[in-house]
Amino acid sequence: MNEQVLTAVVTAPGLAFIFLALGWMLGWTPAERTIVRITAFVSLVMVGGAAWMGYLMLATGQAQFYTSFGDWFRVGEYEFTFELFADHLSLPLVGLTSALVGIVGSFSARYMHKERGFFRFFMLLLLFAFGADLAFTAGSFDLLIGGWELVGLTSVLLIAFFNERREPVRNALRVFATYRLADIGLLLAVFAMHYLAGSSEEGHLFLGNWPAQHVSMSPFAATVVGLLLLWGAAGKSAQFPFSGWLPRAMEGPTPSSAIFYGAISVHLGAYLLLRAEPVFIASPIAAGCVVLVGALTAFLATLTNRVVSDAKTTLSYAAMSQLGIIFVEIGLGFPTLALVHLVGHAVVRTLQFLRAPSMLHDYRRVHAAAGGDVGRTGEHYEGVIPSGVRLWLYRFSLERGFYDSIADTLVVNPILKLSSALASLEPDRGPEHAARKPEPLGRPMVQEVES
Amino acid sequence: MNTFLQFDSLAMVSILAYMALWLIAVVAAPKRDLDRGGFTSALTILGGTVLAYASASIWGFIAGWVITQIPTLRKNSNLRPIPKFTLFTSAIALTVGAVLTGTGNDSLAWLAYSSFVVAALLRKGMFPAHFWVVSAFETGSLFELGLLMNSHLGAYLMVRFAVPLLPANALEALPLAGVLTLFTSVYAAVRALAEGKPRRVLALLCVSQASFILAGLENRNVEGITGALVQLWVVAFATTGLLGVYSALEVRSGEVESPRGFLGYGSVTPRLAVFFAACGLALVGLPGTLGFASEDLLFHGALETHPFLGIALPLATALNAITVLRLFATLFLGRRAAQCPQVPDARPRERWALAAPVVFLVAGGIFPGVFFALRSPAAERLVELLSGAL
Repeated sequence: MNEQVLTAVVTAPGLAFIFLALGWMLGWTPAERTIVRITAFVSLVMVGGAAWMGYLMLATGQAQFYTSFGDWFRVGEYEFTFELFADHLSLPLVGLTSALVGIVGSFSARYMHKERGFFRFFMLLLLFAFGADLAFTAGSFDLLIGGWELVGLTSVLLIAFFNERREPVRNALRVFATYRLADIGLLLAVFAMHYLAGSSEEGHLFLGNWPAQHVSMSPFAATVVGLLLLWGAAGKSAQFPFSGWLPRAMEGPTPSSAIFYGAISVHLGAYLLLRAEPVFIASPIAAGCVVLVGALTAFLATLTNRVVSDAKTTLSYAAMSQLGIIFVEIGLGFPTLALVHLVGHAVVRTLQFLRAPSMLHDYRRVHAAAGGDVGRTGEHYEGVIPSGVRLWLYRFSLERGFYDSIADTLVVNPILKLSSALASLEPDRGPEHAARKPEPLGRPMVQEVES
Repeated sequence: MNTFLQFDSLAMVSILAYMALWLIAVVAAPKRDLDRGGFTSALTILGGTVLAYASASIWGFIAGWVITQIPTLRKNSNLRPIPKFTLFTSAIALTVGAVLTGTGNDSLAWLAYSSFVVAALLRKGMFPAHFWVVSAFETGSLFELGLLMNSHLGAYLMVRFAVPLLPANALEALPLAGVLTLFTSVYAAVRALAEGKPRRVLALLCVSQASFILAGLENRNVEGITGALVQLWVVAFATTGLLGVYSALEVRSGEVESPRGFLGYGSVTPRLAVFFAACGLALVGLPGTLGFASEDLLFHGALETHPFLGIALPLATALNAITVLRLFATLFLGRRAAQCPQVPDARPRERWALAAPVVFLVAGGIFPGVFFALRSPAAERLVELLSGAL
């Protein structure tokens, strides 16, 4: 029974997505009300299932729920087992995802009403829910990659939601490129797990129940795997040096920003580190790097947060900063604290994102009622810093930590130059077919502020 | 190999898959490509490919190989000299390999195997011969080139003849070929990033992803070789879908040939956009498609014998994914200019034909075991031959 419940929670959004996609391919475009009802039903199934498992976990002390579909495929000596499990780490996140899909679906029914991409939005929301649940409950890191990439893809497609404008499309491309570069770290980590530890299955790698797990890897193997996991996690959670993508992701509709960048998607990196916590216990070097990356991101994000002017971008830097602190907690070996922080942060940030549009309206009303001045806030801690340093930090923050220019200088431009140079070496191109500059992968955010 | 034809599982599965692919390509092809000459070319490529797949002797295979290349020699094939010359050279190299193998002289076995490898690399457009594919895609008929490339006779040559005939040489030479194909995968992926013309981008995508097939064969274990043989189908069906969608757009509007900025066709051709996205993402291993499973298998096959593949594959795939999305964005996202004429979405004929590779790739992603089971016997046989040569 419990196995079926876990299966239903994970597969419900995926099945709904397939059902709607097939219908659309056959020429059926459902009415808004139908789509909303289907999403609400899916959310109910997910919330009900997660609540039932949570109740059983509390009532019976059961450490985890587990279901296996057997071998997804088996070739030679390799078998890819399709196993799902929900434990003290994944169940809260599954429950959170389930609840937020319902809340965001309900909010979007009004917010996105009569929007041209209404159907597309809900389709992507369902696919995202499936991907997130799959990532959270995956029994192996191979399977986790599946959910991880679905979340990334839906995220990018929602950033480009208003694709009639150039900037969302260009920013979506930039975010996708960042995701893919960061995902290489996760893929290599899984490769290293197989190579150094013989498996990527959770049950094989980690012994015991979360959070009191340990790993049977050598310190060297743990360091390699840990650093590669950090590479992948930093990309998904917008940590240094991949932080530049998060403000760009604010181009999407507000409800998607809420669930992706306030709650679930952006926390997936932190979840990955929590899931692999024993690796970081076994490798102080990797754990130290997690702390360093988190602390650096938190510091840079909180600086930038103080100078940005629009509500959603402010929230994105605030989320980035909190995620940095969560990374620090993970690196210091406080997984339970990090999980509580993660869930609490996700809930608060979702509320803030969903409230942002009406909050601006309310703020203007209060501002007007107060005679045009509701008083300034802040400048408590800043006053301690010498003015010269403050000016320098202000300049640094205005440039948003130089993330984009550094990435362009060190990564994007050299690769594009190399690509063009290689093209010029090839014969048979013809004078009229010289390589043209492709569409840029997003322009620096600072230019947008200036414009 | 006393008979001229053989219909074992490798041949039968390959023939059936290719015929399905051919049918999809023909039904999806625009009328522009299906004039009398175009249809005759398609039939010629089909005949040559089936002959090559079913042939029990290397001479029959060579005949099939050459027949598939005949359409490229047509006056109105629009190909520049380099593609024609490269394909001709590949046929010569293949024939030299067959003649040297026939002599039975062990001292010439190396040369024979090298000739086979050269033929395969040229035909598949591996570095430094990749530019013939780019050149051909730029000027030729994508419909015919898709059929020619997706026969993957270069990979079939290695699986059916080169390795079984000369297993000892294969054992020693495969790593070299593997390195070259891996380099090609990354090289073509990097090259595609700065390309502006969709036809050239598609060519580089095909070359980069197809190079994993030969790289996978180099793994020398069942996992890697099976992954490579299934990757062959992924590349074949996904690129057939991509070329079909692109051709459909091209006949609707010439502006897609050399786009300046985002063209915004997604608002008027949403179904073509979905077909393109699904095929493109399957090509680069999107979870839920056969590409994900085949790349996972390739990845694990490389663990034992070729860890470098485990690094090159994610890198090239990541870059190719960026290219796919950039091309998708260029063609389908953005705002349509007000003065642009309206173009229709996928016609029913195109819709059914283009849905077929998507269904194949998604079904393969859900039940990959079925497709691996069809390919693993051939992989096991190849591994046995290589093990025997140790």
